Amino acid sequence: MRILSILQAEVVKSHQHNFHNKLIYFSLLIWPALLFVTAYYSFKPFNLSSSSQLSKYMDVNQITMYLLTGYMCYIYFWSLVQSAWNMSYERQAGTLELIFLTPVPRLTVMFARAAGNMLEAVWLFTAFTLLVLLTTGHAGEIHWWNVPVAFILLSISAIVWGGFLNIVFLFSRDAGILFTIFEEPMQFFSGVRIPVLAFPLWGKIIAFFFPLTYVLEIFRDLVLNGKGLVELGEQSFILFCVLALLCTASVFLLKKAEIHAKETGNMVLF
Amino acid sequence: MIEAKGIGKVYSVKKKKSFFRSEKQIVRAVNGLNLTINEGEIVGLLGLNGAGKTTTIKMLSTLLNPSEGTITVDGLDAVQDAIQVKAMVNMIAGGERMLYWRLTGAENLRYFGKLYGLSGNALEKRIKYLLDIVGLTNASDTPVELYSKGMKQRLQIARGLINDPKYLFLDEPTLGLDAPVAKQLRGMVKTLAKSDRKGILLTSHYLEEVEELCDRVYIIEKGSLILHDTPENITASVVKDYHVTIETSVLSAPVQYRMKQGLIGCTLGFTENADSTVMQIKAPFDPTAQIIDLCVKESVSIQKLELKRPRLEDAILALAKEKSA
Repeated sequence: MRILSILQAEVVKSHQHNFHNKLIYFSLLIWPALLFVTAYYSFKPFNLSSSSQLSKYMDVNQITMYLLTGYMCYIYFWSLVQSAWNMSYERQAGTLELIFLTPVPRLTVMFARAAGNMLEAVWLFTAFTLLVLLTTGHAGEIHWWNVPVAFILLSISAIVWGGFLNIVFLFSRDAGILFTIFEEPMQFFSGVRIPVLAFPLWGKIIAFFFPLTYVLEIFRDLVLNGKGLVELGEQSFILFCVLALLCTASVFLLKKAEIHAKETGNMVLF
Repeated sequence: MIEAKGIGKVYSVKKKKSFFRSEKQIVRAVNGLNLTINEGEIVGLLGLNGAGKTTTIKMLSTLLNPSEGTITVDGLDAVQDAIQVKAMVNMIAGGERMLYWRLTGAENLRYFGKLYGLSGNALEKRIKYLLDIVGLTNASDTPVELYSKGMKQRLQIARGLINDPKYLFLDEPTLGLDAPVAKQLRGMVKTLAKSDRKGILLTSHYLEEVEELCDRVYIIEKGSLILHDTPENITASVVKDYHVTIETSVLSAPVQYRMKQGLIGCTLGFTENADSTVMQIKAPFDPTAQIIDLCVKESVSIQKLELKRPRLEDAILALAKEKSA
């Protein structure tokens, strides 16, 4: 009950805070839609037949679906980078210190904040994705019975990722560099546009550092290739390990961050 | 009761030596401070800028761990039992920060209420009650960014009371407020202590406010306690000078002489005007009664009499002067 109450509080706060004018719809829909359209038309001038290099790594006939799923999953993860970035606002406003003045379970707040922000940020683009599917005649390419599992997996992974990032931003007021790292590099190396297998070895190594890489692979196998979770056992296990690692790091870092703040008083520095 | 025993806080601060090099310096913000706050009592914490007041408040409210010493709140250790202590205390700071400006007053209270574990009807009733006592019922659905400074400060008070804390820390709560709003807030603070039996620690640069509200005052300087007593006792022990200005009918030289002789222990000065004499008297006690007796005896008519008693402000200034000497 307490968790739900905190989650509700974070969703409402995030909504009231972010939806104060209509420009928000630009960043929620127009911007990701433009990203998708740009990527789609970037592929058009190239050879996308079965003889192309790309066809070695993916079904080139599914390029629309590949990009659409890629960008949708990316938006889930990217919205949480933005949400974590907003921690600096809380620090400046002094509200971060007030949150830590309350007896609320800190870990719950960090993950509820991620969940709240994710729900707020992705619904419009998710609806856009469904609309594209229905209007472009690609709906038949989707293995619909796997869709609920795929979305649960995507949401849980994104929340774990978001909670972890919130804690990292809590630790340092100069964590803005993560914003730069996670924008274009995450989009490129996680396989949003191009399959990770098509990268050279160094590119694959970078890809393994982004949790989105593992999520995207499973999501596409579930939704586009119709594989079951049993078939994806190995990939799911790897994702589970990555998420467990993020959760462990979150617990550890949160404890460290609060102790550090209590020693140095840095929660009010900005 | 809140009891701080020998608390100290040491920070490590980076000091730039050159563009690439910095050096760590140890700064002692609070040093061996002993302090108590009882229920229903308003305790003042005074000192010049950088004296360690805010650091002390943050240690008492569990936001900072003391580097030394212990803090107990109703027997609970503020470091070991921080979560239980957090439920019993709250802090209100002056200024316009510490609120979500895009949220309405009620939404701010609802958010923080939920973090304190309140929900449903109990939370809604609490929000309604608090908005009512701070006079923001009509503005409850207005975004905070449209509030005036005084309204924001009143909302801060409501936010600080959302968990019905037993102890409240007020850090410059009337900072930058105009006189009527500040007076209203002072009334509210008095009610919280005397009627609701909350223990309150107050820091303020407005010494008249401290004098009016506080039962006891701690004066700290560079993190160390230099004086602890009631405002009256502090003033009496530090500042001895009463100033009386009295305007009378014109006094002849012999009368002025007899006045000087009659007011033993006082320093007198006379200023002659066309149709009056202004007497300025400085004394280590209240000489008003003696002056009036003398004037009656000498058949001098008093046109105006003004007494300036020693104030807490004079005491703080005297202490600051003494320390810097």
